[in-house]
Amino acid sequence: MRLLVLLWSLGPLLWQLRTSLLRPEALVAPLLEGNPWTLANYQLVLSGDPPFWRYLANSTLVGLATTLLTLLLAVPCAYGLHKERGPLRWGVGLALVAAAMFPTVLLFLALLEIARSFGLANNLLTLSLPYTALSLPLAVLLLRAAFADLPGELEDAARLEGLGLGQRLRFVLLPLLGPALASTAVLVFLASWNEYAIALTWISRSDLLTLPIAIARIGGGSVFTIPYGAFAAATVLGSLPLLLLVLLAQRSIVSGLTRGAVKG
Amino acid sequence: MKSRTVTLLLMLPALLLLAAVFLYPMLRYGWLSLQASSVLTGLVPVPNGGANWGRLLDDARFWTDAGQTLRFALCSVILELLGGLALALLLHRPLRGRGALRALTLLPWALPTTVMALGWRWILNDPHGPLNAAIHSLGGSSYGFLSTPATTWFFVVLADVWKTMPFVALLLLAGLQTIPADLEEALRLEGASRFQILRRLTLPLLVPYLTLALLFRLAQALGVFDLIQVLTGGGPAGSTESLALYAYLNAMRFLDFGYASTVMLATFLLLLVSLGGGWLLLRRHGLERTTERAA
Repeated sequence: MRLLVLLWSLGPLLWQLRTSLLRPEALVAPLLEGNPWTLANYQLVLSGDPPFWRYLANSTLVGLATTLLTLLLAVPCAYGLHKERGPLRWGVGLALVAAAMFPTVLLFLALLEIARSFGLANNLLTLSLPYTALSLPLAVLLLRAAFADLPGELEDAARLEGLGLGQRLRFVLLPLLGPALASTAVLVFLASWNEYAIALTWISRSDLLTLPIAIARIGGGSVFTIPYGAFAAATVLGSLPLLLLVLLAQRSIVSGLTRGAVKG
Repeated sequence: MKSRTVTLLLMLPALLLLAAVFLYPMLRYGWLSLQASSVLTGLVPVPNGGANWGRLLDDARFWTDAGQTLRFALCSVILELLGGLALALLLHRPLRGRGALRALTLLPWALPTTVMALGWRWILNDPHGPLNAAIHSLGGSSYGFLSTPATTWFFVVLADVWKTMPFVALLLLAGLQTIPADLEEALRLEGASRFQILRRLTLPLLVPYLTLALLFRLAQALGVFDLIQVLTGGGPAGSTESLALYAYLNAMRFLDFGYASTVMLATFLLLLVSLGGGWLLLRRHGLERTTERAA
C-alpha cells in the first residue's frame, strides 16, 4: 500500500530524473548501443543564456520579498481582526475566505493594466506586491487562529505591566507565535515560488523570468521539438530546493494547513 | 473607542492591498465589458452598449469551453476527494516512517504546476513517452494521449488529480486528527467493522472538512489555467480549452480587452453559481443526514 502510494507520488518525478540523465538519442531509441547516461543535459541548462541558476535566484528573491511583506501586513491585520468585536469581524473574515478561494488567473488583465500604467512590470520586487495580496488571505486567517490560541490573560498581564501595543506584540505575543509564523512563511513562499499567470504577463525580460515561466518557455513551441532531456534537467534542478523545503518543513506545512482547516 | 480605532488602523494596510488586487479588477472588468477595446479601436475603450455580452451569448466557443471547464472541474474534484480521503486514511495510521511518507506524498503539490505539466507531457508523449513504451512492450501500438480529442481531457484531469490530491489529503488529515481515538476504539469494541466505523463515525465527522476541500478545489478547478496552457495549450482541436485560457487568449493573443473582460466576468459568475449550487446541495444533503441520524 505504502509502496503503491509512493510509486504514484514519486514515479513521475523519478522518471524526470532518469530522462535528465539520458543522452537525447537514448530517449527515442531505448535499445541504443553503448552507455546512454550523460550529464550533458545539465551542462546545457546551466550554461544557457541566462544560466539556469539565474531563474532560481529570481524566484528566491520574489519568494523572500513576498514572504517578508506578507508577514509585515498580515500580523497586524490578524491581531486587529482577533481584537475586533464589531460587524467587521464577520465581514472581513468572510471576505478573506472568499479571496483565499479566488482563482488568480482571473485577475491578471486588470493587474497587467496597473503594472503598465505605474511602470511596475519587469521588476521582481514590484511583482511581490500582487503576490503579497494573493497570500494575505490565507496568512491572516492562519495567524488569527494562532492569536486566538494564545491565552488572553497573558496579554492582559502585559498591559497591566504598562507595556504598549507595540511592545506587547514584539516581546510577548510574537515570540509565542513562532511555529505559526514559520508555517505561514513556508506556505507563502511556496505559493509565490509557483505562481504563473501574473509572472507570465508582468515579466518579459528573459533575465528576470521566474522559474515556472522559464521552465514553461523551455518547453514552449511544438510538442515534437521539446528538448526533453534539457527540460527534465531543468525540472530536477528547479525541484531540488522545493524537495529540501518540503522535507525540512513538512511538520510546519502540515500543522499550518491543519490549523487553517480547523479554524478557517 | 480608541482601541477600536487602533484595530481598524492595524487592518487597514492589508485590506487596502486586498481591495486593489481583488476588488478593483472585478470593477474594472465590469466597466471594460461595456466597452469596445481592441486593435480595431486602437486599444482605446469606446462604449459599445453591451455588444460584448450579446456576442458572448452567441459565442459557441465560450459555451463549449464552459462545458469543458465544468466537466474538468467536476471530474477532477470528485477524484481528488475520493483519492484524497483514501490517502488521508493511510497517512493517519501509525505507520513506520509516517513523517517521511507525508513529506514525499506532499511533493507533487509543492512543485510548480508548469514543472509537473511538462513532466506529464513527456510521460504521455506519443510515441516516446514511458506510457507508450509500456504499451509497445506489451505488443500494442502507441496511443495519442494528448492528440485524441475525445479522451485528452481525461489525462488533463489525471495530471490535476496527481498534483492536488495531496493537498486535499492534508486537509482531510487535519479533520481525522480531531476525531478522538477512544470513540473509534469504543465502536471497535462493540464489534463494528472497519467499514462501519468509517461510515458511521469518520465520514460524518469529516463533513465540514470535505465541504471545505470541495468548495476550495471547485473554485480553483473552475479557474484552471496554467496546467492546461502548458500541458495541451487547449488542444487538440480546442477539446481541453478552459474558460480562463479562452479569456487569456482573448486578451493576450487577440488583443481584445473588452471581450476578454466579459469572458473573465462570465467565468467568475459561473464560478459563483456553481459554488452556490454546490453549497446548497451539500447543505440540504447534510440536513437530511442529520435528521436521519437524529430519528
